[in-house]
Amino acid sequence: MASVIVYADEASTGRQLASAAKSLGDPVLVTLGEDNADALSRYYKRVYLLEDSIFDPLKTYKPIMDVIDKESTSIVLSPCSNKGRMIAGLIAGGKNFNVATDVMKLEHGDEKILVTKLTFGGNAYAKLSMTKPLVACIASGSYKESEPFPEPGEIIRISPGDSSLSVKFTPRRLEGADPTKAEVVVGAGRGLKKKEDLEMIKELASLLGGAWSVTRPLAADYGWADSWIGISGLIISPKLYIAIGISGQPHHTMGVRGSKVIVAINNDESAPIFEEADYGVVGDLYNIVPVLIEKLKQRKK
Amino acid sequence: MGMTRVLVSIKLTYDVNQLKFEKDGTPILDACPRVMGEADKCAIEEAVKLKESGKAEEVVALTIGSTKEHQRILRDAYAMGVDKAYMVRLDSDDMATATTIAKIIASFAEKTGPYDIILLGSGASDTHSSVVGPMVASLLGYNLLANADRIEVKDSLVSITSTLEDGQYVVESPLPVVVTVTSEANQPRIPTIRDILRSKKKPIEEIEAADLEADLSRIELVEIKKFEVPRKRIKIDATSNVGEAVDKLIKELENEGVI
Repeated sequence: MASVIVYADEASTGRQLASAAKSLGDPVLVTLGEDNADALSRYYKRVYLLEDSIFDPLKTYKPIMDVIDKESTSIVLSPCSNKGRMIAGLIAGGKNFNVATDVMKLEHGDEKILVTKLTFGGNAYAKLSMTKPLVACIASGSYKESEPFPEPGEIIRISPGDSSLSVKFTPRRLEGADPTKAEVVVGAGRGLKKKEDLEMIKELASLLGGAWSVTRPLAADYGWADSWIGISGLIISPKLYIAIGISGQPHHTMGVRGSKVIVAINNDESAPIFEEADYGVVGDLYNIVPVLIEKLKQRKK
Repeated sequence: MGMTRVLVSIKLTYDVNQLKFEKDGTPILDACPRVMGEADKCAIEEAVKLKESGKAEEVVALTIGSTKEHQRILRDAYAMGVDKAYMVRLDSDDMATATTIAKIIASFAEKTGPYDIILLGSGASDTHSSVVGPMVASLLGYNLLANADRIEVKDSLVSITSTLEDGQYVVESPLPVVVTVTSEANQPRIPTIRDILRSKKKPIEEIEAADLEADLSRIELVEIKKFEVPRKRIKIDATSNVGEAVDKLIKELENEGVI
């Protein structure tokens, strides 16, 4: 079987993309960092470990181009994260590959690949017939995490590519758990009236053993947090996502679609978030959230 | 630095918040308004600021398409302060692949350039693929600075601040460079009436896409439909009895096995 190359820099994504790759050929991984290589080697036939700790798009994509040649592959998969899109675009330009993003499903045709992808802010899906070679960014949650192989794949060390970029990195300051890894995430939106009200969001998150985050306006415009959930920020796929005072702009909902169960709490019955939710609680969040916290506390006892 | 030339590539996007669907789920694109993307406006604003601060000599705007609306967003770019606007004529630009768009931009840049800085919005408001900027960079062999929330140009070095999944990156690059700009980068200026009137008299140069070194491959669309999110959409009314509503929610979440 032909190799399908996956670029992933995070373990859960790496296992999801392994499933997508397996459906098309032999999964081969390119990843950054020993931890990822160790965590993912059982899910891939081979793992190319890029020995560089800080992400530099140029240092990362150039060695992937060499791996593409070495494995003579015609399909490359990448996550739909900011980094994943950068790498996909650089490879597509550098190798003259076709490219598709926000991909939910890939199927083999005779000559072509049938690509099902989200478009128009996640309001529509499109099925496209695309010519190989192809780079596809897979939307989070589209594929279930892969089952491991009996034996771990070989780890092959590769060197970063040339880059004239100078990169300074400051890790995201986390108050509590990491929303991209937590099983429960509580998100707050513009329904919150002031920054202090985030305290009840944090309390609810910690009661559920989860993480909290906000929408883009709360982080980027009000400065209440360092990061946000949404297509330009964090893409989350927890078991439970609780959206509080969030209207449900496409930018945000595209970032939470991978969640198993979604609860929305909002006083506007016509808010688009209710279309995206399994359980839509209609009412004033300032009445509902304190009661929810109280009842969860009682339940814990 | 006085000789720095800047290209800013903008896209006419569908206003997805106003997209309607037929009963069978087919999107009614003809009735959907098309506008310049938010991040594209921020890219123009950055380009014009570079010119105003003397860091760029010339700012050129480009869009790909062939309609009056494409001309309109180029007029908007003129009103914001770009020096020259080009329309690369391509019919049904919304059916061009990302690869085609990137190749047209790269080929245009080679033909009318060289440019030291190429600015694009980090993602279009409709497709939001965010891959065109990176593709243009590797097609031209330029460095890439992506998802810039802040941009500084100093002594032939461009420095950006960007927020990615795991934290904040400050990245510095020599020229030439492709920079993709987020809608957090700035507050785009609102042109004055005088600027708008002036923009109407400015010439828009047209180039045929077929005359550029780019293969004009089209999207082979099999199907496009409204995406029905697979959710249960169970409403719980908490407007009168909050306690009862919360009890019901907790019970449902217990049954789901998520708490």
